[in-house]
Amino acid sequence: MSSAVVFGRAWRLLVLLLILGVAGVELYVAWLAIHPNVSTNYRAFYIDQSTTCLDKPISGQYRLGQTVSFMPDNQAGARRLRVCGWDGPAGDGTHSVGTTSLLRFAVTEPTGDLTLAMLVTAISAPDRRDQHIVVTGNGVTLGEATIPDSTQQMLEFRVPESAIDRAHGRLDVTIAYPTATEMTPRDSDTHYRSIKLMSVQLRRPEDVPSQGPQDDPVALRHGHGPDGPNA
Amino acid sequence: MLAETAAPAIDRRVAFDFRLLAIPSGFAVLGYVLRLFAYLQAGWQPSVWAYPDGLCRWDCQWYVILAKTGYDPFPVPGMLDAGNWAFFPLFPAIIGGLHALTAWPVMNIATAVSILFSIGAAMVAYPLLDKNLRAFTLYSAFLLCGPFSIYFTSFFTEVLFVLLTNCVLLALKRSNYLAAGFGAALLSATRIVGVFIVIAIGLQWLLDYRRRGGNWRGLLPELWQRPEIVLAILLSPLGCFAYMAYLYHYMGDALAFQHVQRAWGRVPGNPFEYLWIGLTDWPQSGFLPSTNQWLGLSAVVGLAVSAVLLFQRKYPIAIFCLICLVVPLSAGMASMLRFVVALSPVVLPVIALLARWRPVFVVTLVAFVAGDYFFTVGWLAEWLSLV
Repeated sequence: MSSAVVFGRAWRLLVLLLILGVAGVELYVAWLAIHPNVSTNYRAFYIDQSTTCLDKPISGQYRLGQTVSFMPDNQAGARRLRVCGWDGPAGDGTHSVGTTSLLRFAVTEPTGDLTLAMLVTAISAPDRRDQHIVVTGNGVTLGEATIPDSTQQMLEFRVPESAIDRAHGRLDVTIAYPTATEMTPRDSDTHYRSIKLMSVQLRRPEDVPSQGPQDDPVALRHGHGPDGPNA
Repeated sequence: MLAETAAPAIDRRVAFDFRLLAIPSGFAVLGYVLRLFAYLQAGWQPSVWAYPDGLCRWDCQWYVILAKTGYDPFPVPGMLDAGNWAFFPLFPAIIGGLHALTAWPVMNIATAVSILFSIGAAMVAYPLLDKNLRAFTLYSAFLLCGPFSIYFTSFFTEVLFVLLTNCVLLALKRSNYLAAGFGAALLSATRIVGVFIVIAIGLQWLLDYRRRGGNWRGLLPELWQRPEIVLAILLSPLGCFAYMAYLYHYMGDALAFQHVQRAWGRVPGNPFEYLWIGLTDWPQSGFLPSTNQWLGLSAVVGLAVSAVLLFQRKYPIAIFCLICLVVPLSAGMASMLRFVVALSPVVLPVIALLARWRPVFVVTLVAFVAGDYFFTVGWLAEWLSLV
């Protein structure tokens, strides 16, 4: 048997072995691909696509009664509260994106019933539709509101003590947008728009009601608010 | 006598090789200087010392972060939904590896490597252009000193995609399927659509087999006797599979690069509906096409050249081109211009055509060089069509 024949056979055997090896590796990786090992919130957002709001480990650090600006001037405060479903801020507030948004407030002390105040503006929708929002706190319905197109409103919702998750010491406020709007044709639902949030406040009955982002001490320091520069 | 006849042949070959290196190198230098001038005119706080970093915009900035810090964990730092898993690893890994070894600034390394890869891509394309020096010159200018040179000389994965595509095309032209398979494996780790070159390899082998007189009945015995093509086909997606395996072990989701598209706002849909929406997105004012129309027009050009390739019965590369266009198009119009100009089988026939007539060649060459400056200014001025 010539050396060329021997080499040819050895080469063919090597190729066949490589085929088996590579095919095995690829089948194994394909099996991994259809069996992801991920958290529930990852699966819900990226894989099942059952939510547009990807729950993230945000502390929700907050002092009751404090007004937090969602204008471009105080994202340090806002970023401690905004979990998901928010984009920006832009010049006139923080945009909701998707079909729900989530705010998290750490509430560790006993409180009784609280009031959630939000200064919001409905976006200018291409079809000029009103924006309807449904607000829940840890699954308990807090209320609904309808905001006419391009209109600003201060919304207030009573938060019963039962809505606060005492085990984790927090209140997760979910804002659902059943009328969220596609801003461009074939837009992703993760990009739908509904409202712009300018400020939030979670207060006890004895706290002073918020008038808007200008009540945020950091916003005052930076001189930005919806009503123009502050003195 | 023998020595006398052999000597000039050697000289000719040496001179010829020199031209293959000198032409793209010359355009590399010219392009580098032109983009510097464009940057000094239109960059943000431009200075010679901030070049080439100042050219790095959009996806380039993602690549720089990727090269420096690797892939995002989950949850993503900064609490974004859009992790960087969508970016395929090979090119950022090369740059990141060199950065780790040398500690030189990432953009300096990326620019140097991109320019070298572009020169390599032009040299590999020379046989694909039937060794036509005029076409080679034009293609070198296109990559290194043309209107879209920013993609091939800064930090975009497109430059490696072009180089590897040309390598695979050359291997197929020489019927070296195993080499094509190795090139394809790297290509599939460069961009997601790179994995589809496997179809071109398989189809090219099948056409060659039929051309050699093979019939369907003899196909399986042929594969058993000469199994290299099977190995080549299995090797082709190996880069993509390697990335998937990494993602699974890193974050538990082998398809994270696909799943994260949702956070980037890429919605799977009918590609031709997207194309129609883009083409009919009329500008709000003026006569110039809107961004979406430019993107749509670039997709139309790419599809038209692919159709010509089909008509010319170049089925393997035509199908590869169609897939490379339709797949991104089925998730929207974003970056279509970049995807089209980085698709070698579309660009090379157009270059060959433009180089056929000397006056057209000269005009095109001048337009390319001028375009390098003006498109770089446009890039810095945020012409969204270029993104």
